[in-house]
Amino acid sequence: MANKRALTVRSTRFYNGLTNWLRSPVHLIGLAALLFLAYTIAWPVMKILYTTFLWRQQDVRLTGEANPGHFTLYHWTRVLASDMSMNLFYKPILNSLGVGFAVSALSMLIGCGLAWLVVRTNVPWKKTIAFLAVIPYLLPSWIISQAWLTFFKNGKIGGTPGIMEALLHVSPPDWLSYGFVPIVVSLSIHDSVFFFLIVGAALSSMNSQLEEAASVTGAARWTILRRIVFPLVLPSILSGFILIFTKAISSYGVPALLGTPVNFYMISTMLYSSMRSRLTTEANVLSLTLMIISMLTIYLNQRVVGRRKSFVTVTGKDSARTLTSLGRWRYPAAGTAAVVMILISVVPLLVLLFQSFMLKEGVYSLSNFTTHYWWGGSDPDINTGEKGVLHNDIFMLALKNSLYIAGVASVIAAVIGLVLGYVVARGRQSWIGRMVDQVSFLPYLIPGISLAAIYISMFAKPTLIIPALYGTITLLILITVVKELPFTVKAGSASMMQIGKELEEAAQISGASWFTRFRRILLPLNQKSLMSAFLLVFIGAMKEMELIILLITPRTETLTTITFYYAEKGYEQLTNVILMIIIAIVITVYFLAVKFGKADLTQGIGGQ
Amino acid sequence: MLNRFPKKKPALVLLTAVSAMTIMSACGADNSSNTLSNAVPTDPPASTDTNANASTAPAADASSAPAAESVDDLYAKAKEDGKLIVYSTSGRANDAAETFMKQYPGIKVEVSKVKSDEMMDKVSKEQDAGQFNPDVIITKEVSGAVEEEMVMTGRYLKYLPEDIAPMVDEPYRTQAEAYANYVEFRTLFYNKSTYAEAPVTNWWDLTTPEFKGKVYTADPLSSPAFMDLFTTMVINSDDMAAAYKEKFGKDIVLNGTDNAGYEFIQELFDNGLIVLKGSDDVLDAIGKAKSDALGLAVSGDVSKNEEKGWTIAPIYDIKPKTSVPDSGYFFIANKAPHEAAAKLFIRWMMGEKEGTGEGLAPFNEVGSWVPRSDVKTKNDISFESLNLWLFDGDALYKTAPKVRDFWIKQK
Repeated sequence: MANKRALTVRSTRFYNGLTNWLRSPVHLIGLAALLFLAYTIAWPVMKILYTTFLWRQQDVRLTGEANPGHFTLYHWTRVLASDMSMNLFYKPILNSLGVGFAVSALSMLIGCGLAWLVVRTNVPWKKTIAFLAVIPYLLPSWIISQAWLTFFKNGKIGGTPGIMEALLHVSPPDWLSYGFVPIVVSLSIHDSVFFFLIVGAALSSMNSQLEEAASVTGAARWTILRRIVFPLVLPSILSGFILIFTKAISSYGVPALLGTPVNFYMISTMLYSSMRSRLTTEANVLSLTLMIISMLTIYLNQRVVGRRKSFVTVTGKDSARTLTSLGRWRYPAAGTAAVVMILISVVPLLVLLFQSFMLKEGVYSLSNFTTHYWWGGSDPDINTGEKGVLHNDIFMLALKNSLYIAGVASVIAAVIGLVLGYVVARGRQSWIGRMVDQVSFLPYLIPGISLAAIYISMFAKPTLIIPALYGTITLLILITVVKELPFTVKAGSASMMQIGKELEEAAQISGASWFTRFRRILLPLNQKSLMSAFLLVFIGAMKEMELIILLITPRTETLTTITFYYAEKGYEQLTNVILMIIIAIVITVYFLAVKFGKADLTQGIGGQ
Repeated sequence: MLNRFPKKKPALVLLTAVSAMTIMSACGADNSSNTLSNAVPTDPPASTDTNANASTAPAADASSAPAAESVDDLYAKAKEDGKLIVYSTSGRANDAAETFMKQYPGIKVEVSKVKSDEMMDKVSKEQDAGQFNPDVIITKEVSGAVEEEMVMTGRYLKYLPEDIAPMVDEPYRTQAEAYANYVEFRTLFYNKSTYAEAPVTNWWDLTTPEFKGKVYTADPLSSPAFMDLFTTMVINSDDMAAAYKEKFGKDIVLNGTDNAGYEFIQELFDNGLIVLKGSDDVLDAIGKAKSDALGLAVSGDVSKNEEKGWTIAPIYDIKPKTSVPDSGYFFIANKAPHEAAAKLFIRWMMGEKEGTGEGLAPFNEVGSWVPRSDVKTKNDISFESLNLWLFDGDALYKTAPKVRDFWIKQK
């Protein structure tokens, strides 16, 4: 009897404990998020991990010992401890880590500098600078590396001499022309906008009373920056750091172009090689090593951020935001920033635009001007009769699909990112928050092709409640959302971390449900971060290639698949036309977002 | 320079081919691959494929078709379906599709462009999940993996119209894994404004001081088709050894390598081989400005000469052999939903029975060869006179990873 009672008490207590635990929105949403992540990310990663411990039929090619279907450590030994390891793994991984850290550091410098200038100072032309900062990300990263080669290449890779060599008659050394340095610079130029937006959002939601208080007590400007501003935006900086680090070590196009001439291989280029040579398991092992490395960095990040008490800068109290005056440096600073950014973003853009109107590449005369590549009919002398882009039969369909996928995916991705970011930020002391943080970070490191291939198997047949999605646009949207989670969740959590709990608590006391709180308080306060997430995912989705190419069916052609076709045939101008159209669309979306979404990246949240 | 090649007598070629075919058919069909043919139904798909639900064997479906499928019959049937799905590694399929839709109104052709290795993943996963989407497959080999993993397992089916078969050159009529509508290969290119004629005649010329630091290649690590050439040299190392002797007048001495093929790769590296990302980068390197360097690239690239502003020319005779073919194979996919249209489209791309149809035009280009005896090539040299190694899919499949390992170790 007493026994039974004790049991009842215990089970009641357990039941109460559970309901209490579940009553917390962080836990409930966290569980739902984990379920989603488990199916869309963890499960594919498990599948990849599983294959690395099995012999496959293909492995008979590598060794006679292969026994298809049975357990083996061969693949891991081959990569980590064989006579191949040095060139297959250790040298590439050192290169990857080096590039990863250098790109993150350089992007931090560029991104934070710009963000501070635009958000916290009285520099003029803010909107222009903020807009220019996004443009390098609009360009495909290989265009930036191509531009680098045009300037700095030396005789090693032949062809027409580089501009530097032609003007100065000095041959640039190999280290300047190829390998580490140009890869780091190209990737930093391309990706530092992530830093700019994440840190910019954090800076702008920071209450300047903190700075003023310090100023009143006599702290120097540098001290304020170091002791107040920096610690407060630390979570954002760390987020940006990890994000850029991961993007850099997983990038393929730039290292392939700039690294190959000097035998500079990274894990990503090796991985691509394994993939193309159909040594799939080797590719899987390599991608898992990248995942392990980034999970370690995230763990370290959680240790750093988790220990700190609060980064809250948005509280219930409103206050005016005062800007740091640059004094007589106002115009020089703005001028330098604008000129540099025009050089690295607007110039390549204009070159591409001109090229799309040139009949023959590189011939600068009026007679060479043509609109053929835009809306010309079929002319057997040009591109073996290929019509202009606007006359391409599937252009309208592809444009519609691209817009639809990018539009829907970026809205969903931004909101999911914010919700998961909420879980990460509020639950950063609990396992749920950390899990969501870790798992949501993997998609950047799963090679797009592997992820897409696994998604075909997962979504070709209806399973449980999920219908067969393969061949539908929904699957393309889903994979785009998943692939961008690392960024959206990071942006979301960095921004959520600054919003005080008491705002929510106040609403909760007055009886607002979680949904109302989210819609009425969190959404508006995170609007800026939300908009930048939306914008960057939109750009990414418009440019996306490798992820989509496997999942596409003729019905779901997108702009990038047309680009793929043109590029393969060597129709450079036509490729440029598509690129210009994509860029024009993104710029339009940007201005619409600024105008109607109030996504002004230069204004604060607390102030006005 | 090309009139150095004596053209083989066509009659002799035909005779050899016909006798080869007779022998082949006498011995029964080649059972390493699956055939989808209207008149010669062969074995059902190999049972090695446990995943594909092969309850109804596609080859058996085909064999129940009437013996002689005329173009009219096919068109009538194809029109009922009204569409056709093509997975292609080459944009040439899009060009052929356009003329096809004019010739045969009522059939809509949808072409998906996918890389050969990705296509293998895509089709395997689709078929394993019970989705049979594509009808026609146009693909290059991936070091023998297409034959090993897709053809032998019955995912890609061989199809060669009976009435056109006699005009097809070997190995593409019976010996190869399927019919290929065009054949390209990797070879050396030089700059026409530097050299009046081909500066090398032997692969070993590249290891001499004259070409130190002056040989470019696209990275074989990221383009397996380039590796296939080097792997073929390893497989045929005796040929390479003989060519060495012919060049230097003495037997080859191996410096720690297994055979003359590996030795060639090692000496190429020792002589300062420069690896670039892709074929276009190589031709930019030697063809954009005056250059005395040589580059390894795809024969078909010669057609881009004008477009890209290059002044390059390919070398079509190198000892011991110029290269190994890189063929654009035609298959019909397992359980193709629009089989009649698929057959009709393949016939169209082959130029129909006479080989004169418009559908062949995108494939019959400078730098690529149509292996049909009745089709006139646009090149100065005929397909039969090209001095190429045989594409040995099985040997390549097994050897390619080893050569890749060797290549990586050179870094």
